[in-house]
Amino acid sequence: MLQIVFDGLSLGSLYALGALGIALIFGVMRLVNFAHGDVIAFCIFALLWPSTDAMAVVFAGQLPWYLLVPLVLVVGAGLSVLCEILVFRRFRRASPATMMIASFALGFVIRYFLLMLFTSRPKSISLLPMLSQPVEIFGARLPLLQLITIVATVVILIGLSLFLRRTRFGLEMRAAAENFSMARMLGVRANRVIMGAFALSGALAGAIALIFGSQTGTADIQMGASIMLMAFIATVIGGLGSLAGAVLAGFLLGGASVVMQVVLPVDARPFRDAFVYGAVILILLFRPQGLIAARGTKERV
Amino acid sequence: MTTATVSPLPADLLSSRKPAPFSLARRTIMTPVLLSLLILAIAGLTVLSGSKPFNQAVIDVFVRVTLVVGLYIFIGNSGVLSFGHIGFTCMGAYAAAWLTINPIMKKSALPGLPQWLLETRLPYWQSAFLAALFAGVAALVFGRVLMRLSGIAASIATFAMLAMINTIYSNWEDVTGATSSVVGIPIVRTIWPYVGAAIISIFIAWGHAISRAGLALRAARDEPTAAAASGVDIPRARLVAFTISGAVMGLGGALMAHSIGVVTPDTFYLGLTFITLSMLVVGGMGSLSGAVIGVVLLSALIQALRWLEAGVAIGSTTFGLPKGLQEIALGVIMIVILALRPAGLIGNREITSFRRSSRKQSSQQ
Amino acid sequence: MSVLAVSDITIRYGRLTAVRGVSFSMNEGEIVFVTGPNGAGKSSLMRTIAGVTPAASGRISFVGDDITGRAPEDIARLGFSMVPEGREVFGSLTIEENLMVGTGMRAKERGWKARAATELEAVYETFPILKERRNGQAGLLSGGQQQMLVIGRALMTSPRLIAIDEPSLGLAPNITDQVYECLIALRSQRRLTLLIVEQSSARAVMIGGRMILMRGGEIVLDGDARSLGNSEAIQAAYFGYEDH
Repeated sequence: MLQIVFDGLSLGSLYALGALGIALIFGVMRLVNFAHGDVIAFCIFALLWPSTDAMAVVFAGQLPWYLLVPLVLVVGAGLSVLCEILVFRRFRRASPATMMIASFALGFVIRYFLLMLFTSRPKSISLLPMLSQPVEIFGARLPLLQLITIVATVVILIGLSLFLRRTRFGLEMRAAAENFSMARMLGVRANRVIMGAFALSGALAGAIALIFGSQTGTADIQMGASIMLMAFIATVIGGLGSLAGAVLAGFLLGGASVVMQVVLPVDARPFRDAFVYGAVILILLFRPQGLIAARGTKERV
Repeated sequence: MTTATVSPLPADLLSSRKPAPFSLARRTIMTPVLLSLLILAIAGLTVLSGSKPFNQAVIDVFVRVTLVVGLYIFIGNSGVLSFGHIGFTCMGAYAAAWLTINPIMKKSALPGLPQWLLETRLPYWQSAFLAALFAGVAALVFGRVLMRLSGIAASIATFAMLAMINTIYSNWEDVTGATSSVVGIPIVRTIWPYVGAAIISIFIAWGHAISRAGLALRAARDEPTAAAASGVDIPRARLVAFTISGAVMGLGGALMAHSIGVVTPDTFYLGLTFITLSMLVVGGMGSLSGAVIGVVLLSALIQALRWLEAGVAIGSTTFGLPKGLQEIALGVIMIVILALRPAGLIGNREITSFRRSSRKQSSQQ
Repeated sequence: MSVLAVSDITIRYGRLTAVRGVSFSMNEGEIVFVTGPNGAGKSSLMRTIAGVTPAASGRISFVGDDITGRAPEDIARLGFSMVPEGREVFGSLTIEENLMVGTGMRAKERGWKARAATELEAVYETFPILKERRNGQAGLLSGGQQQMLVIGRALMTSPRLIAIDEPSLGLAPNITDQVYECLIALRSQRRLTLLIVEQSSARAVMIGGRMILMRGGEIVLDGDARSLGNSEAIQAAYFGYEDH
């Protein structure tokens, strides 16, 4: 039982962090960023030397964790900001559809850049190996990693929310997310806020890369895509632009996946995700504006 | 279903202040005709060249024309971005596989199929028609639920639908062979069936665009409030477009199956979704001409990049460019096109002959 | 000295021309009402001055700087504070947070925190209701309170000019009176320059000051509100049929 709760929480953590990364950017520039998943993949590959071997040569992996973690976060933030400066800045006035396709094209570029350097073979890596030992809590044996995942997510969420509530930059970002042009008329610098949102979102991508990379022990170019599909959905059913909603929906989806895995009859288990997606459509039908509707997010029909 | 949409338009199509339906058809017919001529010209050149790989490449282009025109029917007219249409392509492709694979192979590979289907073996054109019908019915069923949504919620719901279809097809071992390839689909190598399908889909799209439902849908896209106030049933108009476009996507799926002879669920997933959507958006989301020209141009670009990638031979050494450079270049070019022309290459216009386009402008003023 | 100078501004949305060749200028401390019927181009003009919508042609200068085509945040930083139509409070932020958003533009100056705090106290003094509910969500305020909040929010940026688009929109008449009382009092306290957009000319005639009357994207009258208010010209401008 406890095992199920922890499974749900740790899967939900990944979805929630992914959804948050998308919601942050959507909030300030109404962009559904399909390149986010590829930023995640990039973060993990940034630790490897380019090679075609199945065993990855980790050059930065030997770093002690207190250097490794910040390095990955900075790589994510840097790449994300770079995407903003080189690409998304030119699409500020474009329609959401155009922006979405541009972000997809950008993700495509990042993915094939990685493919060119590393080939499509997943590589086994061992990041933070000390985390794979099990620990015993309340009579349940849990991988330490799962525990750390949940704790790290909670710390990130609290940190982010403090940042948004207590700092000047956070205030400007929340104001801009709600009504961008009004915030600008009050002197809030558009570029600064958008770059900040991209940096935060990129750092979150780095965090996901670390967690997911240590969980699976592989670096895979596709790794971002699988999380991001759920994360997109979480962002929307959470209420696009609502950060709290994105987190809530992320945990909800993680929980639902794990619960269905247990509850569904054995024959139906392979179709678990189909049930989850069906549930998503149902939620959208009853609450098309999302679980927590963001204020000031006027829908375009 | 497919024939019904090209049939003559209902007499009560438009109110008396607008041009009569047949004059509307006459004014706009040049677009599908010119686009069809373009397709025929490409096909003619291909046959003349006699090159087999080129033939196969052009077949791919025509399959994509069918798919992107199918996307246009819904996305272009409704303005709602759908990520789910490749799901119907998947259904169409598997339906074609079920209907055309040799029964002996089918019994061992897909034992879960119903008995009558196991024994069926149809020629490709019949299977393509039935596949379109199957996908159209599926689109009708999904559309009944999804078309109540609009905007980003609708887009993500179609995304969820795609993922759902993919999950089912990737796991239903007995019926779809799960993630392993379903082989043995008869391969059609002549170009003409694909030409026919592309042209049929272009005319279906045109017929829908000037039909009552199509006009209502575009009105709702541009002025949702005004359209709703003048009695346009938006969900219904969307459902009509969704169903027709689903059928065309199914047709495209069947053709795709017959052009490569193998289907796997992941052929019809995110990759194909995004490449077809990109072609539509790069060409111009709001125009049929944009859909067709987007496919032709981007496909030409992809092909050119592939040749560059493969054939850089200097002296005795061949410089095989690293795999992936072609995709990177494609992505960069797409971004540049979109940055320079956010509404796509064609925008919202349609290509017509010169005289008519000038007349159209004068009538607008 | 002229604070704001608009010369020959034209604004287009696609093929539609919303504002055609409009010019006017404002002096320090002046109060100017821009009035005119619906669709006269008043709000478009405001949005263009604030830098939100680009002008097709023409120039705008503010306190001596050419601000044509500048970003809204740059214009705000020069001391132009815009209160747009429909108020646009940040509904999910608290009232105090709403007020503080605009102080960020002074964050590079020394002692800005102390000054922001004094500024905040001053705004609370003017609008005690805001202080009472300082930690409440701004979206829950009534229309009149929201109007006070956005005026307060504009004041927090220590502006030289405040432009307000339809402060009476959706407010009960007695609440509108209160809002105007505050505005007039603030103007004399702080030597503010006020640019106010209203559909009706009644308020301008009542308060006095200069009135610019727009119609069909052009300025049709520009002069003292009280003397214009009694003229026949104003009737013609609102109800005339000379254009269409």
